[in-house]
Amino acid sequence: MTDHGPALSFEQVGMHYPTGTTALDDVTLHVGAGEFVAVVGPSGCGKSTLLRLAAGLLTPTSGTVARSAARLGFVFQDPTLLPWRSVRRNVELAGELRREPAAQRRERAEQALARVGLTGAADQLPRTLSGGMRMRVSLARTLAGQPELMLFDEPFGSLDEITRERLGEELQSLFVADGFAGLLVTHSVAEAVYLAERVVVMADRRIVGEVAVPLPYPREPQVRFWPDFTALTANVTELLRGSSAERTAAVAR
Amino acid sequence: MSAAYTRLRTALPPLAVSGLVLVLWYLGSYVLIDADRRFLLPPPHEVVRVALDPANLAELMAGLGLSAQVAVLGLGIAAVVGLLLAALMSQARWIERAVYPYAVLLQTVPILALVPLFGFWFGFGLPSRVLTCVLIALFPITANTLFGLRSTDPALHDLFTLHRASRWTRLVKLQLPAALPSILTGLRISAGAAVIGAIVGDFFFQQGQPGLGQLIYLYPRRLQSELLFAAVILASLLGLVVFWLFGTVARYATAWHDSQQRPASTGQGAAR
Repeated sequence: MTDHGPALSFEQVGMHYPTGTTALDDVTLHVGAGEFVAVVGPSGCGKSTLLRLAAGLLTPTSGTVARSAARLGFVFQDPTLLPWRSVRRNVELAGELRREPAAQRRERAEQALARVGLTGAADQLPRTLSGGMRMRVSLARTLAGQPELMLFDEPFGSLDEITRERLGEELQSLFVADGFAGLLVTHSVAEAVYLAERVVVMADRRIVGEVAVPLPYPREPQVRFWPDFTALTANVTELLRGSSAERTAAVAR
Repeated sequence: MSAAYTRLRTALPPLAVSGLVLVLWYLGSYVLIDADRRFLLPPPHEVVRVALDPANLAELMAGLGLSAQVAVLGLGIAAVVGLLLAALMSQARWIERAVYPYAVLLQTVPILALVPLFGFWFGFGLPSRVLTCVLIALFPITANTLFGLRSTDPALHDLFTLHRASRWTRLVKLQLPAALPSILTGLRISAGAAVIGAIVGDFFFQQGQPGLGQLIYLYPRRLQSELLFAAVILASLLGLVVFWLFGTVARYATAWHDSQQRPASTGQGAAR
């Protein structure tokens, strides 16, 4: 899936603030067209900065961020819905801001809602929905823009584990069907390995390692119990631990 | 039956309190005060009787009409100016820094003390009364609107940034609707202030056509205590009606907001 050239590339990207703090240091990372990459790391390791740079919400202080994907989707940590708008009108928002004709954005919204199984809730206000359903609305809003590159900022972090796993499965089938490129930032190792083709491990504002996930798509939910899967999560965890051990040693010195 | 019962249960406590007040009022008039000093607290039915006398009623209604007109005009102008000011200040910090101190100054200057000055400049007619009202009502609506416009969820701002929304789109589609609960809170405070401004301002004008404030000033000097009570009650009712009006508007306009949701299990007994 990675032979169409990168949808997103980071070349030696740094984010240094004038106050002296560094949010990101010397990051080089490529996401191919149609490739799904996950970034894992502890809180404060710079992964959110990475995502905001990818979206163009921040400009790097050194290095370059290049995005060839024209249509970008961003799924926030929280559903980020307009509480005064119905589900349907929330999904239409992106098209509205892009000044799509009304008929087209209405149709795309309907399709996107159908894909996340929310057609029946189209006229409800967000506050009447459960957390998982709100997250689905957020996904539908992004899908309605037919993105070539999807960025996910710990998208299911505020949900319970059962809902979280189910949404992960739904997200994977959307990815398999649409073939968008994905960059997922998460602190859940299992979620990263389950969804991604490559898991990039970050610690202390830089990339410390990478684990390829050679499991074929579509991945059954039961993949999570396979020995290969467990071995892969162990590899990622090892990298995370190793980097924190190094850091502890550095501090002790 | 159950709907009527629920309504009764809701209406009963405040009705009981007003009944109690009436009882205390009568007690005060007839037990506490000697007959020759009863003018200090005339009994309720006397207040009603004197107020309903056609000549008195006409005077009271003219006063109420004028005060209501001043309050509504003042509030309307304050709302428009306040919204514009807040929208402007929300666009750039330097505008806020330039304007806000003077908005605060407006709040700290005792505006009623300036009433003689306004009379001096603009006469004692409607314009200077409305001006007083506007100045009193302007700050709450401005400050609350600005607060609302500023406290939009940063993630929603990011969403609009990602889609390259213009300032205008951001203001109209995101910030203003998100600020609606704050705007309505500000309007409600401003409305109360506008009513007070209309009545107390009038009290200070002491010239020109009399509103409720001047009547409240005049009646005790004419020893018309029943009418004094009637005027005070009308003034309070005007404030109450305005407060209720904005409460209702707020409830319908912000039905989507969490502040309008009732906990699931109130009103025991209503379920049957």
